[in-house]
Amino acid sequence: MERRHSLRSHTIRLVALAAALACRPADHAPAAAGSTVIDDAGRTVVLAQPAHRIVSLSPAVTELLFALGVGDRVVGRTTWCDYPPVVRLVPSVGDGLNPSLEALAARRPDLVVLYRSPLNETAAAQLSRLGIAAVVLRQDRLEDVARAARLLGRLVGRSAAGDSLADSLSRLLAAPAPRSRRRLAFVVWDSPPIVIGAGSYLDQLATLAGAENVFHDIAAASAAVGLETIATRDPDVIVVVSDSAEPRPPALARRPEWRVIRAVREGRFVYLVGSLFGRPGPRAGGAAGELRRLLGQVTR
Amino acid sequence: MKWLGLGLVVVAAFLGAVVLGPVHVPLAGLAASDIVRTLRLPRALLAFLVGGSLALSGAGLQALIRNPLADPFLLGLSGGAGLGAVAAIALHLASPWALPLAAFAGALGATALVYRLGLVGGGELDPRVLILAGVAVGAFAAAVTTAIVSLSDAAELRNTFLWLWGGLSGASWDSVLVLAVYLPLPLAVLFAAARPLDLLALGEEPARHLGADVESLKRRVFVAASLLAAVCVAVSGVIGFVGLVVPHAMRTLWGHRHRPLLPAAFLGGGALLALSDTVARVAVAPRELPVGIVTALVGVPVFALLLRRWTTS
Repeated sequence: MERRHSLRSHTIRLVALAAALACRPADHAPAAAGSTVIDDAGRTVVLAQPAHRIVSLSPAVTELLFALGVGDRVVGRTTWCDYPPVVRLVPSVGDGLNPSLEALAARRPDLVVLYRSPLNETAAAQLSRLGIAAVVLRQDRLEDVARAARLLGRLVGRSAAGDSLADSLSRLLAAPAPRSRRRLAFVVWDSPPIVIGAGSYLDQLATLAGAENVFHDIAAASAAVGLETIATRDPDVIVVVSDSAEPRPPALARRPEWRVIRAVREGRFVYLVGSLFGRPGPRAGGAAGELRRLLGQVTR
Repeated sequence: MKWLGLGLVVVAAFLGAVVLGPVHVPLAGLAASDIVRTLRLPRALLAFLVGGSLALSGAGLQALIRNPLADPFLLGLSGGAGLGAVAAIALHLASPWALPLAAFAGALGATALVYRLGLVGGGELDPRVLILAGVAVGAFAAAVTTAIVSLSDAAELRNTFLWLWGGLSGASWDSVLVLAVYLPLPLAVLFAAARPLDLLALGEEPARHLGADVESLKRRVFVAASLLAAVCVAVSGVIGFVGLVVPHAMRTLWGHRHRPLLPAAFLGGGALLALSDTVARVAVAPRELPVGIVTALVGVPVFALLLRRWTTS
């Protein structure tokens, strides 16, 4: 199932790439030129002219739009969108999942960007029926963000900026920091213990920071594991991603059964703030550098 | 002979839970291993106590309500526990005991409400009303829970459900100690009710004529069974199936007399959960399965076999 899914998305990616290449000549045409793209749900999206009123239904897309220099065209955002801080002045239209069509339409957008999920695909189809262009984008890994940057660049008439952002993300992926041999485990929930596997963006971030995720062998993005497995894999550091801005020791640090893990016993934790680390976006390079710095601070 | 067999199953399930795990611990180093002493041993004990309590609670409620579908979680308990846990997370109560305590409080709150609704007329506990009230209270609690989850910002809420449908990963000597202090009273109440429950099986009127204090009996059994299930939710989330099927399975072997049935259900439930938890930990290592899936996968075939034997004989 997983494999078929990824195969399909790979095909979509190729098609999207072909489409992107096909409309490349249009980039050099006058600014009013429109664009046609195929989004990550396989839907063809046609814009007669670059989008000027954009509702972003994901924090990563909001960051991308600002990075492309069109932040002033964002007329709607999600409750989670907090970067860059100025985006707080833009009205929120909800949490980005199963959006209210009326709230979206009230912003009179010419483009709505949604995170790829079944509910959002339905919402995108409904928006199209209302005559509002909608693109559905995967944003799970850095490759997705690079592709999204190209595609959004085209839709907002900033192809050059989109391509260059995508290229810089691809370069980042191609050249991770030198291995520090620091071994870590991302613990995202304590009961049952849930850790991050190779499918997650955080695993990519660990590699970029020169560290090794001890659960890289788990293909899924996250998985429930036993405490004794964590204890035996013996990570140097436990990395905790939290939604709250101020890092505080996780409750698990105080629980006796967790103290079987050496890193817990010795208090070797790193706290990551969700808004920078929890979402793949244009700040990934900075996030990887920050993770590397935080890991370096933990004494062995 | 039957008792010896059950005893062997219990011992085997318990040994398996201690010896087997995703990580290989050599037999010689078993006693010295930190993993065995801090993780596997308390987890095996917790599995046994929780499984036994759920099965006993189910056996008691099935006798009380005189409905084969009765189950500790049918009476609004899991809905109340879920509401308590979600409320604790939404209110940002961070202490490690906050979630279990809130779930326990929610379960008891829902049970108290069901109990109050079940008292009809002159204060008699009516089993049919009890079961309807349980379903209604459960549905209401689930609706409030869903409303909190969909209106709240905390991404942690999603994980509350993982905990709620979770399992025994939170096992520690602390939780075993809590159960060791808590369980004796409700267990004793239920075991002591074995003889009157046999009378109740004849119907409320005949039981009354035979000298059973039916009203007090129903109350005692309901409260004790609910207390057992509530503490199980608090330490291990909602583990379905054990409370429903183990009593029936034991009935096929020990018959309907509660004096042997209740202890057999306790031992059988404990063995089933200890065994299931071992499978949950080992089967897809390094990942872990939710134990509730395994109790159903292991328990249903066994139950089907027993049922077949029972109906043909």
